[in-house]
Amino acid sequence: MSIVDLTSMAEPEGNQQAKVDEIIKGLREDLSHDCYQCGKCTSGCEAFILTELEPHKVMALSKSGFIDELLNSSEIWTCVTCLKCKERCPQDLAPVDVIFALKNIAVVSGKQIDSGYSNMLQAVLGTGFIQSPKEVVDRENNAVTRDALGLPPMKGPAEIPKLQQVLMKAATETLR
Amino acid sequence: MDKIGLYLGCLIPTEQYAYELAIREVLPELGLELVDIEEPACCGAPLRHINLSLTMYLSARNMALFEKEGLDILAPCPYCHQALSEVKDVMKKNPALKKKVNSYLKEEGLEYKGTIEHYHLLDLLHDQIGIDKIKKHVKKPLEGLNIAAHYGCHLIRPNDIPRPDDSENPQKLETLLKAIGAESDYYNEKLNCCGAHILLNESESALTKTGQKLEAVQNHGFDGMTTMCPWGQRMFDAKQDSAGQTVGASLSVPVIYYIQLLGLALGKEPEALGLHLNKSPVGKLSSKEEV
Repeated sequence: MSIVDLTSMAEPEGNQQAKVDEIIKGLREDLSHDCYQCGKCTSGCEAFILTELEPHKVMALSKSGFIDELLNSSEIWTCVTCLKCKERCPQDLAPVDVIFALKNIAVVSGKQIDSGYSNMLQAVLGTGFIQSPKEVVDRENNAVTRDALGLPPMKGPAEIPKLQQVLMKAATETLR
Repeated sequence: MDKIGLYLGCLIPTEQYAYELAIREVLPELGLELVDIEEPACCGAPLRHINLSLTMYLSARNMALFEKEGLDILAPCPYCHQALSEVKDVMKKNPALKKKVNSYLKEEGLEYKGTIEHYHLLDLLHDQIGIDKIKKHVKKPLEGLNIAAHYGCHLIRPNDIPRPDDSENPQKLETLLKAIGAESDYYNEKLNCCGAHILLNESESALTKTGQKLEAVQNHGFDGMTTMCPWGQRMFDAKQDSAGQTVGASLSVPVIYYIQLLGLALGKEPEALGLHLNKSPVGKLSSKEEV
């Protein structure tokens, strides 16, 4: 099961496109009045220092309708989600949430995403968690497990197929 | 408060064992019983990149499980804590959404009402257990140690939902450090990000952020750094060597969970607090302390 299946299998393709259009319309309406490009988000951006991410440009491009260009850029995937842009925006906007929305739209539109993200999703669907308990090493390089450390067994969902089913339903609806 | 439900999320119970060991060792000593519940799952925060609805559902699901047991939640991972806070806030403001989420939860036999509180270690220790009680339990104060505080972005932001401390000038961790006899100077890089979020797809940039902050801490002359976040701890502690290589610095900074430091101050054995699992040179802390 791929992410595209997860986010689109419940509906025929036409409806899926309509849904993407609806999300994009909502996103643009949210942004249309308020951002005046002061650049405070970018000046405090933890990713901007190292990558090409400029949150104020993401805001401007989203507002102007260059959604597809943003969805195809790798920039939206370099946000470190420090949330400083949301904190600093004088207009109470949240570039970080716009970036999250763009990433969600990229996924639902079937764009290629980093396998690290799809692996996390597969793990949650398969076990309820992003990863299973690992064997780690201590400073002397001895391998240790939860059990060897005296930690209780890790608890998790008993009925994985049930959880998987509900998650897939939730993902195809828009809960926001 | 004499008991609380323990919600560990994903990273702590699958690899950050030191954090879990220290939590289970120290909190009962301060009179708090920890209760594990059945069937927890991921909080959904890491899936927010993919689909926000998954985050909504999973956070609501976890809160519903604790509600069923009548337990408040201790979420020692800031990333989980923030997801729970945000979902709780959204559902409080949007009853229609809450109804929709509950229609899904019903399929797993659950219902989210919004009747319980959730805490991170920062507010649990500082506001619920309290500084006075912590001070009374200290047997071996950590005198002579100057420790840099690292809060973690999700612990203090965003400020439009309830967070355990102030977003621009958090002080509770420093207060907690002073309560166990240590010092904690201010440093300009205090609120800088650890980079963990882009380790998956932009590892060099992520490790650069980690290395730059550690280098700043080292140059300030701190004896070590303390965290309250499994993601930050993993970057600063386990990935310290590769972060140092990435920024071209020779780093040797002991990085330790605050709850481990608290355990040491309460006179607990280092191994019971998982100190042998820290990858950074935490031995330097105890040798300085003993000298």
